[in-house]
Amino acid sequence: MKFLLKKELSFYLNNPIGYIVVLLFSIFANFLFVKDIFVTGSASMRPFFEILPWLLLIFIPALTMRMISEERRTNTLEVLLTLPISELNIVISKYLSALIICIIALLLTTALPMSMYFLTGDVGGKLYLPEIIVSYLGSIAVASSFISISLFFSALTKNQIIAFLTSVVVIFFLVIFSTDFAGNVLPTFLQTALNYLSPVTQFASFIRGVIDVRSVFYFLSFTAVFLILTIIDLERRA
Amino acid sequence: MISLKNISKHFGHTKAVQNISFDAKKGEIIGFLGPNGAGKTTTMRMILGLLHPSSGQVKVNGLNPVDNRLKIVSSIGYLPENNPLYLDMKVKEYLSMIAGVKKVTSEEEVISIVKDVALESKYNSKIEELSRGYRQRVGLASALLSDPSILILDEPTSGLDPIEQDKIKTLINKISKNKIIIFSTHILSEVEDISNRLIIINNGEMVFDGDKPKLKGGVEKLFKKLVK
Repeated sequence: MKFLLKKELSFYLNNPIGYIVVLLFSIFANFLFVKDIFVTGSASMRPFFEILPWLLLIFIPALTMRMISEERRTNTLEVLLTLPISELNIVISKYLSALIICIIALLLTTALPMSMYFLTGDVGGKLYLPEIIVSYLGSIAVASSFISISLFFSALTKNQIIAFLTSVVVIFFLVIFSTDFAGNVLPTFLQTALNYLSPVTQFASFIRGVIDVRSVFYFLSFTAVFLILTIIDLERRA
Repeated sequence: MISLKNISKHFGHTKAVQNISFDAKKGEIIGFLGPNGAGKTTTMRMILGLLHPSSGQVKVNGLNPVDNRLKIVSSIGYLPENNPLYLDMKVKEYLSMIAGVKKVTSEEEVISIVKDVALESKYNSKIEELSRGYRQRVGLASALLSDPSILILDEPTSGLDPIEQDKIKTLINKISKNKIIIFSTHILSEVEDISNRLIIINNGEMVFDGDKPKLKGGVEKLFKKLVK
């Protein structure tokens, strides 16, 4: 598996597209938070983590859209499937490489809490670091679930654009299920169920600095379900 | 050993392969001949476990390739049609990756195959910068890694100039000892030069299976007689 993981990672590291996507994510993430930092007037990273799923909604499908669809289009998937490597290993190496790139992108945003921590220290409003660390762990969990969805849609088509758009639409609905908008337009019972299914709802406890075992289980099972569906799709033979 | 018993493959209403049966043993170099769309690639994909036969049975070393893909592919080297490669990689990186996946630990083995396919001068080049002939050699080198006992080559000389074709043919002859080699082609002279057994497929049906004609031009006469 390490050879495939290395291949996937070197695609992003030896290719401008990897740097462009990560840099754009970092610029947008930093800008969207910094632009309101003096308006809100409080030393909190919560607004940053609240907008993060909306950024990941675009960033992750852009990162993963080619991962399997391009292999299908160029027929290199046939090469992989005639090598002694299981579908499980193929999917896991692609998932891990995307997750590593995401973690790098998230690390590029850590300058925000660090600078806020030092800037607010003198006025007695220091950030609570464990809360920030837990929020970042939650962000990785959200990214992991979005990667698994995007990887699944990338496996279903030979067209990267279709993979990107379908992933964005599905993740978009998952994100809005957690919003007040969904509460206003959907019947209560449906909204309650869909709200629970939204990764953003499960992420909320992490933003508060709480590691809720139920949310951890949710993210693990969510990621596993879509990775298993991707593996099943690769194992499918005409 | 490869054994196909009455295999058929349908895609919807299209009958791609119908009732093909043959066995292949060590030392055989089988020229798989047929016009475009005859069913050569479909048959090869069924041997590799990439496709389920609609009916019939495929066995490779006594195992069903679809259910035992990982066991089967360890003993097969495959060069697919159009030779798909990761163009953004260097030859060295690509072959190292394939070697790693095939558990070839010795770098000398990789270098030795690179020499066999005369790829030393391009070893550090990006695959996208290579000519078609060199790309074909990269595909062939990756198929040869781990010294598989079965080689399945889907149109290995397709699109190459006559000089490159000759080099690939010489190479196949050189590596053929104690292996089963199945190569598909629609170039008749190729079969005459390389194979010791001939299978002709037309419209998904096997119309000939036997030794190749000994006389020069015999393959062409036979092919024209059987494929109208």
